[in-house]
Amino acid sequence: MYCDEILGCIDMSNQEERENTKRREALNETRVWQVYARSQYEEPLHEIGNVMADDEALARVYARSIYDEYSWVEMMMVPREAIVTIIAS
Amino acid sequence: MAVHIRKNSVPLFSIISSLADNKQAIGRHYASWCNGAPALEASVAAAAMAQDELGHARTLYPLLEDFVQAQNQPQQIVPATRTLRYHLAVLDDPPCGWFDFVALNFLIDTAFTTFFEAAQDSTYEPLRQRARKILQEEHIHFIHAEGWVRRLAKTGGAVRANLEVALRKVWTETLCWFGPADDHCMLQLHHEGIINASPDTLRNRYFDKIMPTLSALQIAVPVTFNGEAKNWELTCELPWPLWDAEARRLRGS
Repeated sequence: MYCDEILGCIDMSNQEERENTKRREALNETRVWQVYARSQYEEPLHEIGNVMADDEALARVYARSIYDEYSWVEMMMVPREAIVTIIAS
Repeated sequence: MAVHIRKNSVPLFSIISSLADNKQAIGRHYASWCNGAPALEASVAAAAMAQDELGHARTLYPLLEDFVQAQNQPQQIVPATRTLRYHLAVLDDPPCGWFDFVALNFLIDTAFTTFFEAAQDSTYEPLRQRARKILQEEHIHFIHAEGWVRRLAKTGGAVRANLEVALRKVWTETLCWFGPADDHCMLQLHHEGIINASPDTLRNRYFDKIMPTLSALQIAVPVTFNGEAKNWELTCELPWPLWDAEARRLRGS
């Protein structure tokens, strides 16, 4: 009886862990956005980094929050899957 | 010698005190999640929003010094020595999970944004100036909040259920903050042109902001859309007997 109780607790703990893992995986971001910006109008847009977010609106918030080291005059982002490789490295 | 003439307005002093305390509490709660959000990007966004909210509080507290009501209690106008807590009771404790953070961001933060929108053309110039600046930053906060509500609701299962629980926890008191229909404070501010809406109108504007998202995601809240009047209506009574009008928070929450 005592062993059954222990095994029952372990099984429930494993089940909770599986549920927690499912929740964590459900919240994992999978979509990557490449971020481009320029700090002066004379400059061309250049890549400054990337953010991960499945939601476009959240990606915009993240890009503005993370890449705020300069007063950019323009910032854009492009989903990575939209980029077409011409010469692969 | 120049004489500093203090403003004498209990309603305005009360509302600014409440706004400052709530902004301070929200900022501290956002900051507590700077290193605990589900993703690195969300942590950075939480830090940025925390900075904004604490900045808003820092611009509001000094306004209290201009009031006659502050003369007898000078220690209450400085955050470091202030002992009064005029923030919502649900902000007494920090969010214990990301779902609570999102509920705070979406429902509570947006409620105060609704007030500042009504103060953009305020007859009280210091509030007018601050309202316009605050709204520029709150725009991003709302996009963040809406994005996360959408993200969590669409995930479904236990994630969606936890989000709904978190939203319900803060729902009632947030709606109460605008005051009952005969709220003396808010009505006086409306009468003097300090804000451009009554308590019920503020609540309706608030519904106009949050209900499109909640409705599209089919998140159950006690609000229905009146097709004839073309506005959202609350379908339950708010607990006004528990309302502390001075502190603008629910007693015993």
